Amino acid sequence: MSDAPLIHTTKGNVPVADLKYATAWEFGPTWVKFVERYTDAAGEVVRESCHVFDTQGVVGSGALA
Amino acid sequence: MANTQAMCTSFKKELLTGGHNFGAGTLRASASPDTFMASLRLATDNLGPSTTVYSSTGEVTGTGYSAGGMVISGWANPSTSGTAAFTTPTQALTWTGVTITNPFDALLIYNQSQGGKAVSVHTFGAQTVVAGNFTITMPVNAAGTALLQLT
Repeated sequence: MSDAPLIHTTKGNVPVADLKYATAWEFGPTWVKFVERYTDAAGEVVRESCHVFDTQGVVGSGALA
Repeated sequence: MANTQAMCTSFKKELLTGGHNFGAGTLRASASPDTFMASLRLATDNLGPSTTVYSSTGEVTGTGYSAGGMVISGWANPSTSGTAAFTTPTQALTWTGVTITNPFDALLIYNQSQGGKAVSVHTFGAQTVVAGNFTITMPVNAAGTALLQLT
């Protein structure tokens, strides 16, 4: 039995070492987004997660028109 | 002293707790909080200020995602600071083990207890998720940042 760590993907549990791991950050006017993506040897995305930090909500104003 | 034309800050807060009803009929039969839900929306949907009610049309579909979205487990008790009234969900929204292959870019918050009436739309740029997790961490619950603010 291998001790290689596995990770759940669209192709079942595969050794994480067999996958390419990449991260990306995006910055919007009211949010920050962190994406982590695993691709296999063929370049297919087999796992992708996303985490959004909503830095500012919405405003309804009662100010004078 | 002088008078200043304004919308009263206390009124803004009371709107967040259903304290006023300008229309016919009693909307508040219970003192309990309503159930609000969060629905993920396809980038091809067309939500915004004119959105009035939740619809399954334009909502994402995929493994691990239930139609209607997720119940927001709780909200900070509405409060005021300066002339702003505000509230924010007390916890992040987390979908685990989901696959949503069609790009989505927005979150619709709506009132499940009031027939799905729309509350707000929050965008975050087009995204997909593959056998992974999607989370939205809430902003600081304060004037200027809270998820829902009346100013």
